[in-house]
Amino acid sequence: MDVSLTERAYIKMKAASINNLKYLEDKPVIRVGTGTCGKAAGALRIREAFKDELTRKGIDAGVVEVGCMGHCYAEPLIIISKPGFPSLCYGKVDEVLVKRLVEDFLINNDPCYEFAMAALEPNDIFPTFRDFPRGVYEEKMILENCGFIDPEEIDFYIARDGYSALADVLNMEPGEVLGEVKASNLRGRGGAGFPAGIKWEVVRKAGNGMKYVICNGDEGDPGAFMDRNILESNPHQVIEGMIICAYAVGASLGYLYIRSEYSQAIRRVNNALRQAREKNLLGASILGSAFCFDLEVFSGAGAFVCGEGTALINSMEGGMGIPQHRPPELAVSGYLGEPTVLNNVKTFCYVPLIMRKGADWFKKTGTPGSPGTAVFTLAGKIAGPGLVEVPMGTTLRQLIFDVGEGIPRNKKFKAVQIGGPSGGCLPEQALDIPLDFDSLEEAGAMMGSGGLVVLDEDDCMVGMARFFLNFTQQESCGKCTFCRLGTKHMLEILKAITRGEGDMASLETLRELAEDVKTGSLCNLGKTAPNPVLTTLKYFRDEYEAHIKGKCCPSLKCPDLIAYFIEPDKCSKLCNICVGSCPVEAIYTRDNGLKAINRDKCVKCDNCLKACPPEYSAVIKVSPPGLVEEREREMK
Amino acid sequence: MEGKKETISNYVCEILKNYSVERRNLLPVLREVQEKLGYLPVRAMEKVAEALGIPTVDVYGAATFFNLFRLSPPGKHQIKVCMGTACFMAGGQIALDSFERRLDVRTGETTPDGEFSLEEVACVGCCSLAPVVVVDDFVEGNVTPTRVDGILLSWDIGKKKQREQD
Amino acid sequence: MNRKVVIIIDGQKITAREGEKLLWVALENKVYIPHLCAVKEQERPTAGCRLCFVEIEGTCNPVTACTQPVKAGMTVKTRTPAVDRLVRTAFELLLSEHRLNCGECPKNGSCELQKIARERGLKLNLHRLKPLSKKVIIDDSPRSFAFDAGRCVLCGRCVWADHRIAGVGAIGFSRRGIHRRITTFADRELAQSPCTECGLCVEACPVGALYFKKN
Repeated sequence: MDVSLTERAYIKMKAASINNLKYLEDKPVIRVGTGTCGKAAGALRIREAFKDELTRKGIDAGVVEVGCMGHCYAEPLIIISKPGFPSLCYGKVDEVLVKRLVEDFLINNDPCYEFAMAALEPNDIFPTFRDFPRGVYEEKMILENCGFIDPEEIDFYIARDGYSALADVLNMEPGEVLGEVKASNLRGRGGAGFPAGIKWEVVRKAGNGMKYVICNGDEGDPGAFMDRNILESNPHQVIEGMIICAYAVGASLGYLYIRSEYSQAIRRVNNALRQAREKNLLGASILGSAFCFDLEVFSGAGAFVCGEGTALINSMEGGMGIPQHRPPELAVSGYLGEPTVLNNVKTFCYVPLIMRKGADWFKKTGTPGSPGTAVFTLAGKIAGPGLVEVPMGTTLRQLIFDVGEGIPRNKKFKAVQIGGPSGGCLPEQALDIPLDFDSLEEAGAMMGSGGLVVLDEDDCMVGMARFFLNFTQQESCGKCTFCRLGTKHMLEILKAITRGEGDMASLETLRELAEDVKTGSLCNLGKTAPNPVLTTLKYFRDEYEAHIKGKCCPSLKCPDLIAYFIEPDKCSKLCNICVGSCPVEAIYTRDNGLKAINRDKCVKCDNCLKACPPEYSAVIKVSPPGLVEEREREMK
Repeated sequence: MEGKKETISNYVCEILKNYSVERRNLLPVLREVQEKLGYLPVRAMEKVAEALGIPTVDVYGAATFFNLFRLSPPGKHQIKVCMGTACFMAGGQIALDSFERRLDVRTGETTPDGEFSLEEVACVGCCSLAPVVVVDDFVEGNVTPTRVDGILLSWDIGKKKQREQD
Repeated sequence: MNRKVVIIIDGQKITAREGEKLLWVALENKVYIPHLCAVKEQERPTAGCRLCFVEIEGTCNPVTACTQPVKAGMTVKTRTPAVDRLVRTAFELLLSEHRLNCGECPKNGSCELQKIARERGLKLNLHRLKPLSKKVIIDDSPRSFAFDAGRCVLCGRCVWADHRIAGVGAIGFSRRGIHRRITTFADRELAQSPCTECGLCVEACPVGALYFKKN
């Protein structure tokens, strides 16, 4: 019978995987996080340092490359598991620490607790991540294995029950699988939050012809990288989710659409697909069942608009990434005109978990309308940037001040930009809204990509709106009038305002255009592009007015509206640091020995301000720039 | 010149052998051609159009639409300044300005000696190191104008050493 | 054939085949709806010019008539404040990158933009927006016609004619966003392209971007 067949196949496979990993038992194992971020911080150097040191000292220990745990602020990051000790995580590792850890911990049993960040398992000696402020709120579902398993070795995933959901699913009726996903009320994590089960049902009911399953990994938000991180750290979870989906809807071919910039993710996914094929988890008669399905990587060519489903499909078919009118939805007419399921990387990740633990388990986390967890990248003015996973319904305040540990350097919180270029800027008073699809949309923002950027008092809201609009304007495909021309005119108005050349009438035009682009655009890129402008206009109108009426940037950020000034009563005549720091020789010494800035030469690079020793802090920024002349006059 | 054209055609033909004659292979083919040649020469685009049986102008459309493709040869070293949100807030524009000033090129251009090309990229995903610059494949974090000088100086020194060795 | 249904456009009862696109039904029944990019034969409408907005009873925002299939009992209004606002903005946006020199334009009098202005009481100048400077590039290399990119509204009807009716493939869209334009392969002159001078693209152009030379 089929039932025993796939299960038997799986049990055998899992036993083999566990056996393959036996070599790591009973000896210390060092896990080095080599995601793109870890590598950028020097993880490969650390890995080599460990290998060298272990060889030099003749120690038998495993060095395993793992993905990313999400603690970006502490890269490069390693975990040491030594029998008899809890697994310990160390951050900001350098070569010196490597030597010490090998000498003191691996040889002499002193784990150097003073350098450890946290333990992974609860123990009597050292706190775990759970005891961190962020640990209280974090609940890892889809990121659970990220940073612990070797993404290049399928055995690690299988040994942790990976692909067991698939083995079970193959014994179920496709309709039952679909029923479970529908019952879980899993909503698409790509941004809009459309229920995955309903999408799948349309495709399943679309007859017996060719169908496709596509994973959207074209993450283009300039400040979000969770999809990349998952693909790099645990590719098999996405692949398993896609195979289950294909089984439920009756598809035989699928693609992972990954943006070309993510070269490491593409490489690791291709490697994972090869290993899955070798184990008969992909290809003909999967795990001995009658089900056949295969997957390929399609690497995008760099266009934010391809995150939009119809544009993504057009580019896969060999055209420009140009969106089309919907309906028909992709579930009816997608890739090559056939019914297609298109879901985000994260959406597919939840599927194996839901099948393994049940829809009810999934719904226990999060809110009734948006069950499960949400993954965010925390960036900007935040003490603990990184990747976090929290239950839906967590408030922004908890996320920023507890999980992200607040604003660094005692600065004041100003706003949080959520959802990237499609999202909005929310002020202090919105911090208590719960993070779920519906609440955010009500507030004028959206879950979007899950990028979350914190802004403090030094950030200019007009400048932020201009930044995001510049991005969407550059990424607009140009097909429809509102997006092509509307965003261009909006950007021109914003540019004028940040240069101090705006007027109140153009502010009104900006608002009107923003509203019309939102209603009139063809696709969601255009429909959401005005969100950063609309929300900043709503919550921070005073800043716009300051730029227009006072020609002043209150946050001292817009280059055309600020000037640098050296305060004579603070400047030390004996110090020359600022002069040397200036890349354009704009700083000169007055007759009386005090320093001054030639405003015509100054390129406003901030160098002198950073270089001036803190005991003087003589360099300041002023806005409007005319204030400098006033100060100069006072001096005389 | 004729010889160069021949080489381009040969490379493209070699790549096309691995693909079926279907329009949907356009992007993968163009990508592979660019990996091989560094950019998409006119001759290569013509060859691809011919092989896939689509109008040349459609190939041109796709080649000019996507950020990945370039129609002119890149510099020997590519400097990519991250313009993601976190980098923008931390002074990515200042870093970009500094490169423009130092190299005396605009973003998207290549220095006359063909050494460096300067580009903007949207988020390389190293937000905690902002502002970030990627020189060839090497990620540089916390790039201030002083660091920009340092990066370029290290290349100059490297070049000088190279010359002395030669 | 699809069954016939009755719909109401601006209070007028109209019989149409179910599923047919609303824009064509309206135009055939002498109800004018502004449009530039629509091509009747296209199975998936471009829906790029964003001018053919109408309001349908029961839906909250205006929809594009070129994409809207006719359904039995549908009540349509072609003029409402919401529709007029979107059309006015879209029209002004298009004008902002259209070189306005009607006096010298060969299409003066038969231009679709002028028609829209006349029908909807819109002015052929900019109120709120500044003109986007566009370099004057005129390709008059073909013997019989010329292409003035400064007047192009990017509707894509010429590309449809070139690709799908003539089957030539001389012109197409290139680049993206604000830089999107109609070009030949590698931005060559039309005379250097596969163009056969069949003239179908010129006939398809709703404005004075593609025009026949006088002699």
